[in-house]
Amino acid sequence: MAAPVVWLVEGAGGGPGTQEVRACGRALGGDSRVALLEEERVGPYSPGLYAEALRVLISRESGGEPAAPTVVLLPHTYQSAEYAPGLALRLGAAYIASVGSAMVNDGGGLRFGRAILQGRLRAEVRPKRRVVVATVQIGGFGGGEPVESPEQVFEVGRPADIERHRERETLGREAAGVGGVDLPGAERIVTAGRGVGGPDEVSVAADLASALDAELGASRPVVDNGWLPREHQVGSSGHVVAPNLYVALGVSGSIQHLMGMSGSRIIVAINKDPEAPIFSVAHYGIVADLHDVAPALTRLLKAGRSS
Amino acid sequence: MAYPADCPVAGFGVRGCGAMLARPAECRDNMGREERLRIGVCIKQVPDTDSHLRIADSGRGIDDSDLNWVISSCDLCALEEALLLAEAEASGGEERPELVVFSLGPSRVEEALRKALALGADRAVHLAGEALQGGDALADGCALASALAKEHCDLVLTGAQSDDLGQAATPAVIAEVLGCPYAWLVMAVELDSRRGSLRIVRELEGGMNEVLRLDLPAVLAIQAGINKPRFASLRGTLQARKKPLRREDCADVDVGLVGTAGAGTETEAVALPPAGAGGVVIEGVSAEAAAGELIAHLEREAVL
Repeated sequence: MAAPVVWLVEGAGGGPGTQEVRACGRALGGDSRVALLEEERVGPYSPGLYAEALRVLISRESGGEPAAPTVVLLPHTYQSAEYAPGLALRLGAAYIASVGSAMVNDGGGLRFGRAILQGRLRAEVRPKRRVVVATVQIGGFGGGEPVESPEQVFEVGRPADIERHRERETLGREAAGVGGVDLPGAERIVTAGRGVGGPDEVSVAADLASALDAELGASRPVVDNGWLPREHQVGSSGHVVAPNLYVALGVSGSIQHLMGMSGSRIIVAINKDPEAPIFSVAHYGIVADLHDVAPALTRLLKAGRSS
Repeated sequence: MAYPADCPVAGFGVRGCGAMLARPAECRDNMGREERLRIGVCIKQVPDTDSHLRIADSGRGIDDSDLNWVISSCDLCALEEALLLAEAEASGGEERPELVVFSLGPSRVEEALRKALALGADRAVHLAGEALQGGDALADGCALASALAKEHCDLVLTGAQSDDLGQAATPAVIAEVLGCPYAWLVMAVELDSRRGSLRIVRELEGGMNEVLRLDLPAVLAIQAGINKPRFASLRGTLQARKKPLRREDCADVDVGLVGTAGAGTETEAVALPPAGAGGVVIEGVSAEAAAGELIAHLEREAVL
């Protein structure tokens, strides 16, 4: 079976996820080329416009019925994961979101690995169509080693009827929360997860953070439940952090959370569920009730400091 | 409000479905005003996150014989947002929009639909047809789009991603097949039913949001945290038993687009995630002992 043709969708100057997309493309081997998607040429972003612009380029270069399997890779960002399913539909392609591994097996078939059930299990997925659109999980591919861009670059052009595909109007941008918490700059972070139990029990994490001279982080459920304000949120939808020390208290470790903190130097997880996905990235794990261990840690740290 | 007549789904074999989906002019009532606004909410029934998950003997999925099933958390937020929009319309002097809830799956999903009815939805549609089952996001999105179009929904709300597969694709597929404006990760919705438009806030990376305007009909994928879903009252639960629940088999949709035949992917295997890279498990006899051991490790790592 012919090696796949692999399209790497990149923005101007890279952008988030570019390295992961290149690393995924390299894992698939084959003939890689860049689809360079720049706002100056295509126009201001909307899902329909970008899906259409890429469809035009890829179907033109594939010459109708592609001879080799074709894979279109995009980073799983807030922009490209919004329009990638529509692109798949327009190309008659299979769609696989947020892949963490990719390979071509002995028979030439494509296989993609992805987390399911919020990271509790991994699935190996086989596309049933000749063309595949996949988004690549950020922070989950490559391992940091820089990958060169392929030499072949195709510029994505402006679709003929731009107004028809620009189906929404951007009115502006705003900050989601208020300031006062410096998670990205923190050397140490203690994060409260759903396992802390409730708004009145967040103090167990705050006390440990104070004993460690750390910033206080929160997982998404903690913020969604209103136990801590949104500026504390760690994860792909909050702050992406990489401190020297990251202590996760009662955090199960959804894939979005792991994407936001797995680059930390030392990760400590305290959770009573031994199956919690957070343990898959932890350097030190304690399977126990955080309400016993965290106060003990706080006491020992304070005693150590005063002695 | 009409869906665009030219469905953009060229090359997928559903070209022209826009005509099928178009809301006929005779749907408007003869009083000269538009008929009551209709909001469709798509919900997915998923295993409870706290369920103990076992891999099935086939190795291709999870053993579903002993699971608790719940409405996926973002879908519950989508339903809550629809209820809030309907209540806001009613208190603003407009007619309360009708809320129709949709779910695709085996007979157990009727439990999820009854729960949605108990929470305040007016009617339910169960995509129960045999040919619709076993699909992926592409196939399920096509089936749901066809059922939504048949009900002439003006606004479609669903969760940004499911708690089980988490592909975040089904709402985008629905929007694409219907040819409607779409936004993913919606954190706030304001409906202007008189002008037929929406002002929404969408989440971006790094703690930023963007504000967008979309015209109806539109599809919104609601992010968790937009609201706090209510609990069903006893009265609601009793009323739900009498509310209409219709079974739909989408017989007018090409069977090649839905179910197993319409799926673009197949799951070959599921497995536990690889263990952490040599992580140390601390097993102290007491919390104090575990804490002491951890501190010793952290001092050795020079992070204290």
